Amino acid sequence: MSALAKTAIVGIFTLLSVSLTGNLALAAGDLSGEVERQAVNPVAIVMFLVFVAATLGISYWASRRTHSSKDFYTAGGQITGLQNGTAIAGDFMSAASFLGITGLIFLGGFDGLVLALGAFSAWPLLLFLLAKRVRNLGSFTFVDVVSQRLERTRIRLVAIGGTIVVVILYLIAQMVGAGKLIQLLFGLPYEVAVIAVSILVLTYVTFGGMLATTWVQIIKAVLLMAGVTITAALVLYHSGFSIENLLAGAAANHPRGDVILSPGVLFQDPVQVTTILVSMLFGTLGLPHILMRLFTVPDMHEAKKSAFYASLFMGYFYLALIILGFGTAMLLYNDPAFFTSEGKLIGGNNMAAIHLATAVGGDLLTGFMSAVTFATILAVVAGLTVSGAAAISHDLYAEVICKGVPDSHRELQLTRLTTLVIGVIAVILGILFENENVAFIATMPMVVAASVNFPVLFLSLFWPGLTTRGAIWGALAGLVSSVGLIIVGPQVWVSVLGFEEPLFPYNYPALFTLPLALAVTWLFSVTDRSVRGEIDRDNYLRLLIRSEYGPEDEELAVARH
Amino acid sequence: MNDSDKLRAIKAKTRTRLLFALVTLASYFAFVLNWVDGPSRALAGRLGGSHINGSLLFFVGLIIFFILLELLFLFIYRVTSGRGR
Repeated sequence: MSALAKTAIVGIFTLLSVSLTGNLALAAGDLSGEVERQAVNPVAIVMFLVFVAATLGISYWASRRTHSSKDFYTAGGQITGLQNGTAIAGDFMSAASFLGITGLIFLGGFDGLVLALGAFSAWPLLLFLLAKRVRNLGSFTFVDVVSQRLERTRIRLVAIGGTIVVVILYLIAQMVGAGKLIQLLFGLPYEVAVIAVSILVLTYVTFGGMLATTWVQIIKAVLLMAGVTITAALVLYHSGFSIENLLAGAAANHPRGDVILSPGVLFQDPVQVTTILVSMLFGTLGLPHILMRLFTVPDMHEAKKSAFYASLFMGYFYLALIILGFGTAMLLYNDPAFFTSEGKLIGGNNMAAIHLATAVGGDLLTGFMSAVTFATILAVVAGLTVSGAAAISHDLYAEVICKGVPDSHRELQLTRLTTLVIGVIAVILGILFENENVAFIATMPMVVAASVNFPVLFLSLFWPGLTTRGAIWGALAGLVSSVGLIIVGPQVWVSVLGFEEPLFPYNYPALFTLPLALAVTWLFSVTDRSVRGEIDRDNYLRLLIRSEYGPEDEELAVARH
Repeated sequence: MNDSDKLRAIKAKTRTRLLFALVTLASYFAFVLNWVDGPSRALAGRLGGSHINGSLLFFVGLIIFFILLELLFLFIYRVTSGRGR
């Protein structure tokens, strides 16, 4: 194996902890301890620099088109359904999907597909339940949607809290992973690497806003799908373009044999599988930076198309991962060049996808996939930063403090300032958590989003009986229970805090915290006899009509410039 | 259309939305049967002499099914949106 491939593999090993889906908690390897600096290697770095140059060019182009807060938050609402669907797919086809799911299939065969299904299946539900109504009711963020009906100040504060928690937790994991990768590719000190990543992301987010972020996501999605397609085609070439030969070869070479083709190698407990499926499905539907994408398109028709195109691209991606996953089992297990002297895969099981690129495409494909993996992180950090900035400058400043009538120029200035502050916070947290096990941090956002954001949003749109009091108590119940159960679960209580047995047996408690949040919301709503409660219930019909038919006139519309 | 007509149309559309959502959820969580004794044995059975089994087909089938469900939903939406407004 070449030095380049080894460097890329070790570097990308650091991405084990940056899972958007928390799936890295299930795969081997944690991000902890020092990472050895490597020599600079040209292929991956050249591709990486080309990508950086392209994104900076996009940022410059976008900055000339970003003049208002609407431009910054939602790219002026002029992104098409196809473009937005590609960007959404780009936002969600993370390095963890590519590396983590492939690695799980390499390790345990069929069981790795649980995460693929969980990652994909939220999108049909987004189309059926949320896309149209959210687009018609909100302007910039999902917080706009819930505050249409409920008492705007209190519910905004709760929803903003949920958004900030999710964004910050994601950012920590992303920054640590990106910093480690830059450190390895360029030989920079970790702190400098984290600062460099943050400066890069801030440059195109601060000046280009959502427009630049969207196009970076689109480019990344295209590159990632191209890379996966090329790798899958080469794997099929090695199997004579036969799925049967691929599966037979995987089973023949894998240490566990035919068993990998069936469930049960990694997971034996159906409740555990259910917890994963619940967290990923409803967590995705509550992610603020994903929901924000619904406002980048001009109307509800394009919003629905966005959701469809996103699921189309992701469906293709996850089907291709079957070929990649079983391809790793077919091609890697019999080649000692990919294993250490102790018989472990170099870099850990999550490096299986990169090893596969080396096995079928050599240094060129390896370098390409390394650069794309880094681009993935940059794009996700950008999306999170825009979402976090919108939560502060739009949801808090413009809507709560200025009561919905801010000075537009000042709001845009605050947006850019907030972006810089988020960048600084990301750097500080990335440095503080350098040597911590961040796998548990990567798990929390999905569970929190499923337990806090999704219940409030869904019930606002579909339940006439929801009141502000019920929403607030339900959100608080979801937040406390989800964070608490994660802390006393296996990943934190045992792996981080060092206790022998966890107090709660599951890593993904949304199966329990989501129903709890819904139950508390229901209880505090049906027992709410306040004047505000009556107003909240009365607001439902007006909101329902507008959610299906769109704003009727300027007085009702919430979009502002 | 006045508000009453709109609400009637919305109720019909909401039933459609929830029906599609329920079908999706039922299909999605049915995937857990792969880890339940009994159904898992049946799903692990292979097709003929090949290495392709019911579990793999279940996964692929779900993804394709969900995409087709979305296409159907968009088709219904386009057909009814003219009548419903």
